[in-house]
Amino acid sequence: MHGRLKVRTSEEQKALKEKEQQKKLAAYQAGIQKILSGRKKDSYDSECFALSAQLLIANPDIYTLWNYRKEVILIEKEACEENGTEGEEKLIKLLEAELKLTEQSLLANPKSYGSWHHRYWSMMNHPNPNWANEFNLCTKYLNMDDRNFHCWDYRRLLVNKIGISLEDELNFSNDRLNANFSNYSSWHYRSTLRSLDEDSIGYELKLVQNAVFTDPSDTSAWFYLRWVLSNPALTKDRKTELMEALEQLEELEPNCKWIVMAKCWLSGSLALNDKDYVDRRVEFYKRLLELDPTRKGQYLDYLKIAEDKIKQRECDRKF
Amino acid sequence: MATVIKDIEIQPNIPISVLFEKHANFIKEYGQKENSYEYGMTDYLRVSGMFWGLTALELMNTLPKQSKGEIAEYIKNCQDPESGGISACLQHDPHILHTLSAVQILCIYDNLNAIDLDGVVRYIASLQLSDGSFMGDKWGEVDTRFSFCAVATLALLNKLNAIDVNQAVEFVASCKNFDGGFGSRPLSESHAGLIYCCVGFLSITNRLDVVDRDTLAWWLCERQLPSGGLNGRPEKLPDVCYSWWVLSSLSILGRLHWIDAEALKKFILACQDTETGGFADRPGDVADPFHTLFGIAAMSLLGHESVQKVNPTFCMPQHVIDRLQLKPQMMID
Repeated sequence: MHGRLKVRTSEEQKALKEKEQQKKLAAYQAGIQKILSGRKKDSYDSECFALSAQLLIANPDIYTLWNYRKEVILIEKEACEENGTEGEEKLIKLLEAELKLTEQSLLANPKSYGSWHHRYWSMMNHPNPNWANEFNLCTKYLNMDDRNFHCWDYRRLLVNKIGISLEDELNFSNDRLNANFSNYSSWHYRSTLRSLDEDSIGYELKLVQNAVFTDPSDTSAWFYLRWVLSNPALTKDRKTELMEALEQLEELEPNCKWIVMAKCWLSGSLALNDKDYVDRRVEFYKRLLELDPTRKGQYLDYLKIAEDKIKQRECDRKF
Repeated sequence: MATVIKDIEIQPNIPISVLFEKHANFIKEYGQKENSYEYGMTDYLRVSGMFWGLTALELMNTLPKQSKGEIAEYIKNCQDPESGGISACLQHDPHILHTLSAVQILCIYDNLNAIDLDGVVRYIASLQLSDGSFMGDKWGEVDTRFSFCAVATLALLNKLNAIDVNQAVEFVASCKNFDGGFGSRPLSESHAGLIYCCVGFLSITNRLDVVDRDTLAWWLCERQLPSGGLNGRPEKLPDVCYSWWVLSSLSILGRLHWIDAEALKKFILACQDTETGGFADRPGDVADPFHTLFGIAAMSLLGHESVQKVNPTFCMPQHVIDRLQLKPQMMID
């Protein structure tokens, strides 16, 4: 049970609720028994078919019922194929009803694996699929919850299936980020669109730098920044510039751990030459220990590495 | 324009210890209430539910009400003779999720021969696609959860050679993201549950070299919130089940010390239902067997001496993994 708050009720309310639940349970058990015991390979009962839709709207996680519906569609598909245009129209009507059903069940539970897969399966079996409609549906669901990874994944299945230009994808990504900068899913999506090269990295750095400087306490963009910094196409000038900008930002936001962490990435193995910054790294990790004691195990590990480097350097100097 | 961290507040009156007796009773009773609403309405996940409950009991050194024979009989009846796969309950369809759960339960009770093992192996092998990925069942949904289920099931049966392991690894590796995490399919967003599946998968197949250890361990330890609880993705609420997904992954990566164990313990203790027993996802929510297992198993990884040692890769008691002579890969410095 995710996110279901326990509510206190009186004895009377409890008894009433239990009675209702018993009724619901009996209906569910009778319904599923009726559908599953009457399942056949080459025919089906339309009453059972309708009943399965009702049960799935109430609970889309009953995976066997989606399977049952797929079997029915395949029975009809086979029959339709023998009946030419008329058959195809019937099949389309059936599949459109499946799309409608999944839309209903997704409204009730937008995170049901079964509903999303059934929708995809229906589209794959559709003789005349309306892809634009599917993209609009995704946008609608992402507007309701822009972190719903099921919806992002479904959209990606569509993209894989029909293809879409990089320009369109970048525009889509820009739209999502403009709608909400602090949306980790959008930053993730952006990272998947292309590998960065000398031409594209400047723009990405500017974009993400703008995001973290607008609100340094917003974590999402920092993850993307770390990824951009790990790219070998980033020039030393850009890194030095960023380091200076971070130090300025730190003056305004002295207690933001992300700024210090970004300085660690920049000065460590990710970006700038370790040798130039090894002393400062010790100082950065000590600061992180103060700012973010929750993760002190990590900072102590890195602090030790930095301190060992200094010791090593001093050893090397002696000999 | 400071962003507000999504988190919960821990109330001062939380329990200070694990309420073992209450949890054991909660689980034992749960499996006995044929006519209870909660139980009756969840038949479509029964065998996995049994795994959560029975493993929690075993970790708490408690025997279930059902006998070993009764449990095996139930599972046996859920095996589809044709495909060899195991379903959630009678009359429902076989699925890889329940096939793994069934095999895990039978391993715990040292009773594998109760089912047709060749059938299980045949079923798992039949679900692998040419790109190395696995479907959850014959209807074609692909997900890295199923990759984990496939190799975990086969490893428990010592039959990993029944599939193309190299291709399977290649698929999981292709699900690695910019943040070091893994998602459900190539290019899908990182999620702690799927990271556990992929890291667990790589641990079983002895291919942890695929992981960007520092990047991933950093992302995982950033899941800890001021309340001490762990979330599954950035900017999400904490949840007890992530105590397991994140913690087991960090254990396999040898970076358990990157989170604040005391703060997490406090959060997990706060998720206990002091009346009914069991753990909820968050303090004050309804308890269930799923979160109870992951609360208990997380306590085991955090070193609670009254809980049996749990294996982070298989989420099963370590003594069972030892008996099967399995040594899933772990990273150590």
